[in-house]
Amino acid sequence: MKKDRVVVTGLGVVSPIGTGTEAFWNAACKGINGIAPITAFDTSGFRTSVGAEVKDFSPSAFLSPQQISSMGRSSQFACAAAKMAMGDAGLDTAKLDPYRVAVSMGTTMGEPQILEQGIEMLYRGEGAPGAVPADLPAQYPCGVISANVARSVGACGPVIMIPTACAAGNYAIGYAFDLIATGIVDVAMAGGSDPISKIAFTGFNRLLATAKELCRPFDKNRDGMCVGEGAGVLALESLTHAKNRGARIYAEVLGYGLGCDAFKMTIPDPSGSGGILALKRALANAAVAPESVDYISAHGTGTEENDKTETLIIKTVFGNRAKSIPVSSIKSMIGHTMGAASAIEAAACALMVSRGVVLPTINYREPDPECDLDYVPNTVRNAGVRVAVSNAYAFGGNNSTLVLGKFGG
Amino acid sequence: MDPKIVITHAGAVSCLGTSPDAVAASLLAPPKTTAVKDFEFHSLPEARQAFAIGNFDPEAILGKKGLRTKDRATKLLLSAIELGCKGLYESAPDGRRPGLCVGTAFGSVASIGDFLSDAIVNGSHNVNPQAFANTVINSPASNANIRYAAHALSSTVATTFNAGLDALAYAIMFLRRGYEQCIVAGGLEEISYYGIVGLDRSGLLSVQGTLLPFAKDGSGTVPGEGCAVFCLETEESAKARGAVPVAEIAGIASCFDPKRGASGFNPGGDGARHAMKQACEAAGIPLSAVGFVAAGASGVAAADNMEALALEELLPATPVAAYKAKTGECIGASPCVSLACALSDMKHGRISGTGSRYPLCREIDLVADTRHAVSAEYALVNSFSCDGYCGSILLKNRN
Repeated sequence: MKKDRVVVTGLGVVSPIGTGTEAFWNAACKGINGIAPITAFDTSGFRTSVGAEVKDFSPSAFLSPQQISSMGRSSQFACAAAKMAMGDAGLDTAKLDPYRVAVSMGTTMGEPQILEQGIEMLYRGEGAPGAVPADLPAQYPCGVISANVARSVGACGPVIMIPTACAAGNYAIGYAFDLIATGIVDVAMAGGSDPISKIAFTGFNRLLATAKELCRPFDKNRDGMCVGEGAGVLALESLTHAKNRGARIYAEVLGYGLGCDAFKMTIPDPSGSGGILALKRALANAAVAPESVDYISAHGTGTEENDKTETLIIKTVFGNRAKSIPVSSIKSMIGHTMGAASAIEAAACALMVSRGVVLPTINYREPDPECDLDYVPNTVRNAGVRVAVSNAYAFGGNNSTLVLGKFGG
Repeated sequence: MDPKIVITHAGAVSCLGTSPDAVAASLLAPPKTTAVKDFEFHSLPEARQAFAIGNFDPEAILGKKGLRTKDRATKLLLSAIELGCKGLYESAPDGRRPGLCVGTAFGSVASIGDFLSDAIVNGSHNVNPQAFANTVINSPASNANIRYAAHALSSTVATTFNAGLDALAYAIMFLRRGYEQCIVAGGLEEISYYGIVGLDRSGLLSVQGTLLPFAKDGSGTVPGEGCAVFCLETEESAKARGAVPVAEIAGIASCFDPKRGASGFNPGGDGARHAMKQACEAAGIPLSAVGFVAAGASGVAAADNMEALALEELLPATPVAAYKAKTGECIGASPCVSLACALSDMKHGRISGTGSRYPLCREIDLVADTRHAVSAEYALVNSFSCDGYCGSILLKNRN
């Protein structure tokens, strides 16, 4: 198949520490904590009550009142991030062949608030389906998120939603990479989106996986993850297309890899089988030797199992070099934004590669003997990053790794 | 030159049956719906007709082990794989087992809705934590990877009514890029209370409970359910392991139509035309080579009018099969269930009819009475969604 290089030319971020790429970046460099008591729903009766909500998002800045009323929160986040990425890239819909523009999005829960709303209405209406407004059900299927993004950016090429839970952003960026690399499209808007979800909060609470106050990845006293929300979208282009229009390039997508644990639905394989496979496949796909990796954006959820297993995965693949590679988890600041997580992390990696700065893992106090890598504790670090890898793992053992590199012409 | 992608195995579970012979026989029989009303947490105010799999017995197909925590959607997927592709997993050494990609609009929506309902009725702090695992849309595919100890690709695609088709497109990309040697890909959807209420409130369900594709006065669709999976691999891979292709995916096209009429569909059918043309172009064949079309038509007037307009313009003399008359609208599974029906028809040298005659919305050659002794080299399988997703698969007969 035809092979072209793929570059990142635009970024859009909606996050619990800021909406807009620069707002997010500045907050992340300062190590701002985006975790606070949840306001979207009543958390009384749960063992924990904090989460990572987006606080400064105004949909009317991106969408018309009619669009807002016809979309769930996940679609609103996704469309906003996509429009930001388009604008940041300087892409003009009118100048593109719409059939050569793709959209590839990921999510964990899709539009859970729509289903939550509908079911609550059913109970209030004593089970009468007529209690559900006629225009509500069409907003629920997660495929409407990518469809809404396609409409908002004028894409007519392949449009896909890949709901592979918390690795979905990486899966979506990977597929967009393939669509461009093989010459099927010139441009793709790729990323992930998820709103704060009562289902996810309830489920992770019942699995005893949520943190009481803070997200502390890799710390000895970590006590879980924090359910969050947000969206990240990357404007990807073929290098040829980007060069022809003189676009600014943040980074190059070098490759990606996927691997499945085939172990349990809710906990990672302690041997790290799927994560190791994903990382090895990603490096091979990117034609990058392990010695060339300068930074690892960790899945780093802050759960006992994930952080231990991810450390093992990194040690297995990078051997003696593992301890000298900076590894950080921005989930310490933005919580676990589910399907958006790896997309926001990819955007962060593109910025880190472009700006020569490594974001920290905040709330890191006490080293864990089983997690003994350089987790970039608490403060931002100046460091040249030529190659960054970003891990994302998910329920069902759906593991992924994305490789981004500094664009060298 | 892209490598040829062939289908070497297929497995399906739908209201047509669970074996190729049952599917072939059911396609000749009149449509058979059943009344559905009661579900675990909710009941419909009135029974609705549905193409439900009435006697679905997953234990008979899968055995008892490991099914206790699996929901209906997962059991449908596991059953389709077991029936058609189990041998692939058993014969491949660890690390060389097939990848998996499943297209579904809703995944385990019954599990998701029931999890919420349970939380409302019994309190959030009392819900079964094990049930949470079934609330992610990728749970059926992930459960299949676990069952078959398959560490390769595990992915899920959710482009509403086109999900099954886009899952095949996704898998083909992985094969052509050389990421995997062999991928089991297909579509999946379950009938659920939440799905029926959603379709009903959206005005898509037939009040009479009859599904008449391309009818002049289409009154709506009837829900169906099922799963159809196909083992996809390159011709080279099939040859190397001595597998015999039953068909080739000669072309596949997926695009998006942003224009919307009142019903969600673009009445002009731009996306539908683009998808059909592109699928044939990808195969390097003229539209005139298409032997028959497996339409996406499901009885929803706006959708059927749009497809009929596109067919009238591009393929005016080509016979059109409308399998949903017999399978119902299986949403994300539909493109793959239709593909399984088209494969069955190609194998038997026929085009199955809808079984009834009624005035049509446009001048197309809709097959009402089954046509026998038909030798079609190519069939075009269509899928169009009210959200704008458009897709076509060009199937080449290799029987």
